Amino acid sequence: MGAYVIRRLLGVVLVVLATSLLIFAIVHILPGNVAYAILGEYATPAAVATLQERLGLNDPLWLQYWHWLSGILHGQMGQSLVMDRPAGPLILDALGRSAILAGSAFVIVASGGIALGVHAATHQGHVSDRVMTLAQFVFIAVPDFFWAILAVVVFASWLHWLPATGYAPPADGLLAWASHLVLPVIVLSIGLLAHVSRLTRAAMLEALRSRYVLMARAKGMSERRVLWRHAAPNAMLPTITILAIDFGLLIGGVVVVETVFAYPGLGRLLVFAIEHHDLPLLQAGMLVLTTIYALANLAADLGYAALNPRIRYGAAA
Amino acid sequence: MSTGGGAVLDTPGADSLRRRILGSRGGTSALLFGGGALVAIAIIAIIGLWYTPYDPTAFAVRLRLAAPSLAHPFGTDEFGRDVMSRVLAGAHLSLAIGFGAMLVSLALGVPLGLLAAFDRGWLGVAIMRGADLMISLPPILLGLLILAVTPPSLGKTILAVGLVYVPILVRLSRAVALGLLEEDFVQAARARGEGAASILAREILPNAWPPIIVECGLRVTFAILLGASLSFLGLGPQPPSSEWGLMIAESREFLAQAPWMGLAPGLCLCALLVAVNVAGEGLRARLDPSHA
Amino acid sequence: MPVLTRPMPDTGLSVQGLSVGFPTESGLVRALDNVDFAVAPGAALGLVGESGSGKSTAVLALLGLLGGAQVAARRMAFDGRDLLTAAPALRGRRIGAVFQDPSSTLNPALTVGMQVAEPLLVHGRLSRAEAWSQATALLAETGLARSASLMTCYPHQLSGGMKQRVAIAMALATRPELLLLDEPTTALDMTVEAGILDLLEGLRARRGLSLLLVSHNLGIVDRLCDRVTVLYAGRMVEAGPVQAVLARARHPYTRGLLAALPRMDRRGALAPIPGALPDLRRPDPGCNFRPRCPFAAAGCERPQVLAGAEHQVRCHRVEEIAGLSWPSPPSPPCASDAGATLLETDGLARRFGAVHAVDGVSLTVRHGEVLGLVGESGCGKSTLGRLMLRLVDADSGTLRFDALPVPPDPPLAFRRSAQIVFQNPDTALNPRQSVATILRRPLHRFALARGAAGEEIARLLELVRLPPSYAARYPHQLSGGEKQRVGIARALASRPDFIVCDEPVSALDVSVQAAVLNLLAELRATLGLALLFISHDIGVIAHLADRVAVMYGGRIMEEGPVAMVLAPPHHPYTAALLSAVPVVGARPTRQILPGDSGAVHGGVGCRFALRCPQRIGPICAEADPPWRNAAPGHRIRCHIPTEEL
Repeated sequence: MGAYVIRRLLGVVLVVLATSLLIFAIVHILPGNVAYAILGEYATPAAVATLQERLGLNDPLWLQYWHWLSGILHGQMGQSLVMDRPAGPLILDALGRSAILAGSAFVIVASGGIALGVHAATHQGHVSDRVMTLAQFVFIAVPDFFWAILAVVVFASWLHWLPATGYAPPADGLLAWASHLVLPVIVLSIGLLAHVSRLTRAAMLEALRSRYVLMARAKGMSERRVLWRHAAPNAMLPTITILAIDFGLLIGGVVVVETVFAYPGLGRLLVFAIEHHDLPLLQAGMLVLTTIYALANLAADLGYAALNPRIRYGAAA
Repeated sequence: MSTGGGAVLDTPGADSLRRRILGSRGGTSALLFGGGALVAIAIIAIIGLWYTPYDPTAFAVRLRLAAPSLAHPFGTDEFGRDVMSRVLAGAHLSLAIGFGAMLVSLALGVPLGLLAAFDRGWLGVAIMRGADLMISLPPILLGLLILAVTPPSLGKTILAVGLVYVPILVRLSRAVALGLLEEDFVQAARARGEGAASILAREILPNAWPPIIVECGLRVTFAILLGASLSFLGLGPQPPSSEWGLMIAESREFLAQAPWMGLAPGLCLCALLVAVNVAGEGLRARLDPSHA
Repeated sequence: MPVLTRPMPDTGLSVQGLSVGFPTESGLVRALDNVDFAVAPGAALGLVGESGSGKSTAVLALLGLLGGAQVAARRMAFDGRDLLTAAPALRGRRIGAVFQDPSSTLNPALTVGMQVAEPLLVHGRLSRAEAWSQATALLAETGLARSASLMTCYPHQLSGGMKQRVAIAMALATRPELLLLDEPTTALDMTVEAGILDLLEGLRARRGLSLLLVSHNLGIVDRLCDRVTVLYAGRMVEAGPVQAVLARARHPYTRGLLAALPRMDRRGALAPIPGALPDLRRPDPGCNFRPRCPFAAAGCERPQVLAGAEHQVRCHRVEEIAGLSWPSPPSPPCASDAGATLLETDGLARRFGAVHAVDGVSLTVRHGEVLGLVGESGCGKSTLGRLMLRLVDADSGTLRFDALPVPPDPPLAFRRSAQIVFQNPDTALNPRQSVATILRRPLHRFALARGAAGEEIARLLELVRLPPSYAARYPHQLSGGEKQRVGIARALASRPDFIVCDEPVSALDVSVQAAVLNLLAELRATLGLALLFISHDIGVIAHLADRVAVMYGGRIMEEGPVAMVLAPPHHPYTAALLSAVPVVGARPTRQILPGDSGAVHGGVGCRFALRCPQRIGPICAEADPPWRNAAPGHRIRCHIPTEEL
């Protein structure tokens, strides 16, 4: 297991390095002059030259990449062009706010999705299972930005229960802070909840159809024990993989939902960077998100290994 | 005396028994319902290319933000454009993004995956490491990254969304092909001295397409969702296009006064997605009995 | 309908009129139809039948684990308690169960100790420490060494035989009075199976257990049970004391099964049972074996009654046909003495990682000869077969065919002359191709039968005894035996001289297997084919082969004419293998081998040294044993001189 953890950690480092290269390559090699992308089509040649000088764009690409990478290793994420501030603190601030949003949504998705999935699997064919199956079809398919505008129209514009958009720091009072979180968290969770519960149901059903469950029943174990001691530990393995996939979808949701709710998180910051062609900020933000995603995948892999004795104790002889 | 390991157990599960006796023919109603709805939407989208009740781009200042009426069933927008005409005119875009992206990932992912399955040397390894790398970016980021640097357009959105699903199809088609390569009927072909091309065409592809098509059917939903999200963020077709995600984005400022501006394209988008999703699940139930 | 049954005792298990139906979209599948059986305390009953007989369904019905099925019985009681209602309270407590394939019945996520101790904790209400120590003792009782350290292992760390011992320990934990065994040794190797059977026999004697053994294997039933009930397509056809039923079978189906069984002590053609299982959705009110029965006559369409006292038979013609023998096809003409060498391997070797799958094998196959290759799972026999066809790349060694060396990428002429038939009929045929397409491809590939492919396909189908109309069918429209025939026809299409048959009958039921074996014997005689016949089943090999090679751990241990290999002197491994085969009507003293055949060998000394019961000393593990000639053409690879073997 120790060797496995070290191998996976090394893998994460490699993935982050490689994605940094990929991000850099896409930003710098795709057709389109970076300086023009930043300044717009009608920039004067002099302005372009100044900017190229300032950004070091005249250096060879590998040197530019090295400068960027070594800067990051020294904690220098680069300079936001539009805001003219170091990107690091900007990203860190936004990341904290996004983490609260995404973290709450993820807890709801994981706990709720698994609970609903297990319920559906153990009540296969019952009314509750059928209703949930139908709901899942719809909820997986509805885009979160549509939920977002619906929620704003209904709960903010019509009912005036909750603030439509924005963010209140906890210093302004916990109630205000929380009230700005409710709608984004719900919108973020709803589609993923459907996804996780649907796939958990499938994993659980498969475990319940297995022969070791038949064996447990033949041993006279109660249905409760069969479910939680025999089926669940095996069904959790695919569920962990599903949760890792959904974490990627969650990051996408965060970008969209933060934009709709004007929530000042990392997703909003990225969209801002794209809209204003703030490439250094964009690069740094992307790298941070990719690293988080890689760490989430690592957590999923380790969780999978911890639950799966085949990995924990090596493969069968 | 035989202790034949393969003696078929007469298992109790009525499910498997039914499958053994009848073969798998599930998902027919879902496929008919979802597929029917999808065809209807596609027909409407094609009509919308040529005919709309009003010019979807014509401004009518006096009719700004008009509520739905008989003349304008979905109301008008902030420029007085007829929302229904705009929805109709934009219908083909969501379909194009979803199915176009799927074609892109099929065209790139399946050949690469098959190549990786056949080539046990450095090429196969390189393809798989590349797929690992692409998959380690969260899906939306890859799209954002590609669209952020160059001016957005419909084609680029299709390409960006398609690229997101390429590594998934690479992995899937490689896994399917590797599984099939172990099958005895492929060994029989090798025992005839068949070449790789013949094995691929006669033995692998005819058996590999069902799981690949099933995966594509399920992925179209996500492709349309991702495409609409990118459009919503302003990274898809540009105004005055009436792509539905873009229309919803443009409606945000006017939601309080004119909710129909967002609801009309939003509900249409939902209808399309549910239809695609139901059809995809129906396809899976039909072709892949193990996930019934 | 008159019911002739002996009065059922109140103790033990008694089942009367058990019927089980599975509702499906196309109607009720009647898996069991009015079945009676009983197991007295301390007795052992065998429930025998082929796939589709309903025997496993009976076990699940007793345990109350049939879910959505319709279960009805006049009486289904254990010790006077009605199992229809009390099964959940009795199973796992007073009735234990062991199922087929322990790799899927043990929970992969729980430790062995947890799984064995669980019934003690839950039903026995023991403390953790007590349950743990009792579970350890149970593992030891089932013959597992180092039981204490096994407790913390997970199932995937154990071999198949060890897993089944764990499953037995688990079933014994609550000291049940009745043990239900559903094909308990079917997924296991023969030498491992022998150990499990010994264990069960010992447990029965020691603990006074009653056994209900469900099996397709008559030899196992003969070995372990005192009474037997034969099921066919959900109905009882014959029941009685084991010796009476197996030695003097009276129902045509039982007689057919026994006639179809390949045995080491019998050569010549087997008697297959023609036809296939009836449609269980439309049960025949008369005898449901009638369409396949050579003795069918007027009156068979009437409902049949189970008649007799001690030995019951469900056949109205039982007295009339007692004197008639089961029709058996004429023996195929004996192959003329094998000719010149066709195929010759010299030091063929192939490693997979650390495993020497095939480790320096030198064999010859002569024109028209059947070489049997026998060994247990993991011994490398399949890999060797594929090495001989150059389907797997060899690490070293040479292959010669028709006196010419075969390069790693062989010419088309070799491909045409050397073909293969596979074990699993379900994966051997491309499911997307019709039988005609499957057979046409080799004809095109080798430019045979240009323009007359249709006739050639018809000829091939006739060769394997399939009607020409089958050309239009797809594999899913064929039964297992028919698929295997198509697989044979595909191999024959190129008119080869040599075919590797890789366990071609081990996935088939006995009655179907006999027909395929007969077909192979006949084809070999009429077409002058040479076969490498790979099997784990020495009975099948003995039936078909001229010469046998016994393989263990990647090496050939013994090689010679079949009669010589089956008779002493034996290599110690051959001796163990032969003694492990459960044969109807014979009870050989068995040599139980320690350990499992799957162990990875270091690469020095005799591959069998670790498990050898006749090991003579350190030399066995240190030096490669020499080949010793026991007789002309019969050689044994052992440090022990042949006179002492």
